[in-house]
Amino acid sequence: MKHLIIHLLMISPLSLLLVNLFVIEVNDPIKYIYTVTGVSATVILFFTITISLIKHKINLMKYRRDIGLFGFFYALLHMINFAVFDAQLDIVFIIEETLDKPFIYLGMIAFFILLFMAITSTKRLYRKYGKYHKSVYFALLLVTIHFVMAQKTIDIDLLCYIIVILVISYYKLLQVIVRNNKV
Amino acid sequence: MNIIKKPSWQISENEVTPQELFDNRRSFLKLGAASLVASGAIIEALAKDNIPVPNLKYIKDKNINDLELNTYEQITTYNNFYEFTTSKTGVKDLAHTLDTNNWKIEIDGLVEKPFTLDLEDLISKMTIEERIYRFRCVEGWSMVVPWNGFVLKDLIKLAKPLSKAKYIRFETLYDEEMFPDQRRGVFASVDYPYVEGLRMDEAMNDLSFMAIGLYGSRLPKQNGAPIRLVVPWKYGFKSIKSIAKISFTEEEPLNTWQKANSKEYGFYANVNPNVDHPRWSQKRERVLGKFFKQKTLMFNGYEKEVAHLYKGMDLRKYI
Repeated sequence: MKHLIIHLLMISPLSLLLVNLFVIEVNDPIKYIYTVTGVSATVILFFTITISLIKHKINLMKYRRDIGLFGFFYALLHMINFAVFDAQLDIVFIIEETLDKPFIYLGMIAFFILLFMAITSTKRLYRKYGKYHKSVYFALLLVTIHFVMAQKTIDIDLLCYIIVILVISYYKLLQVIVRNNKV
Repeated sequence: MNIIKKPSWQISENEVTPQELFDNRRSFLKLGAASLVASGAIIEALAKDNIPVPNLKYIKDKNINDLELNTYEQITTYNNFYEFTTSKTGVKDLAHTLDTNNWKIEIDGLVEKPFTLDLEDLISKMTIEERIYRFRCVEGWSMVVPWNGFVLKDLIKLAKPLSKAKYIRFETLYDEEMFPDQRRGVFASVDYPYVEGLRMDEAMNDLSFMAIGLYGSRLPKQNGAPIRLVVPWKYGFKSIKSIAKISFTEEEPLNTWQKANSKEYGFYANVNPNVDHPRWSQKRERVLGKFFKQKTLMFNGYEKEVAHLYKGMDLRKYI
């Protein structure tokens, strides 16, 4: 049951995206794909780091890898949207933009960290590279900056996201402090 | 001998589509196509997607550049109007609180005599025409809109500015009852009232337009009713909506977006594919309703009409 609910939740942004693109037909499809995939990736990835915080209430530890991979999946769609639809596979343009604009290279770096984590998430590779998976925190920091930079102004919605992110970060920090004191 | 030579733009009377047919051309084509499919549901769906019956009389734009119009639906469901919300699709449902009845425009600053204009009076004095313009947002999307209105130049003549006046400054209505984001105080998205401005020679250019309608009827609220500016060679944020005050000044007005972030937005905001926004490229644009992007044109395709205004100016500096 838990398994089903989690997977349904994880694919719901994708179904929303497809319905809006092909049935309702949004005005600005590229922008819409950016928003849905970007927000979904951000929310899901922040959720993966809260799983260990809430494990005594709801234990989702055994789904953490799957959920993380869904987060990566939306980040991948976000990236494909940039390279294929927005930049129209103009490699020179993609490289120039990446080197030129902090907004783009912060997102790029975060994506490559997530890509590394996705590749090394198999049991065998995780044994060797699992310790580097802490870099997700760095990726999330970049994702947050990228997300804020994507907005034209700081409005109420953005403030809500930032507050949630700060609350999660606070509890994460507490968790680390408590763990270190036990040792 | 008296030879009457027709000017090149004049088409003969029998070539002119009758007004009623022209106005109904969409539903005519739509229903014609629909009857082939012969499904009641489709005809109904098509009829629903109706453009309001045009109620303005205006001189038609001949559309010499053969621009492909965006649909009424696209133009009226994707709006930046931060006084309501930052969500472009959300404006339409919130805009009903804007009350455009008895609209007045205050004219002040460096004019012979400050006064207040009644909008309907003003409209009755003006020659209403159609202008089919490209509209390019700084965010990277664009559309083609058939506006109705009058040239800004005519309004300026009416206002009688003094020769000292070098700039014209516009203000959107400030009314917390009507605009939810104006009530939010420190949590508002930008500073209100929204301010925009033009240099006097820009304002006097024939392209600078005051729109009171689109697609032949009065502006929907989400598009900046009852009167807005349209400067098609500049990014959309220059085309200020729901104007309640116009002032003539000697100093360059500090427009809202420049005030919010002067590194990214300046006073001029001319559409320029060669100068990127610090966060994204301006080389191409996403035309609403199309999946693939198209090249952005210098001054949004109005180079011939406006390039002379900026001779000798470094357009990388004056963003």
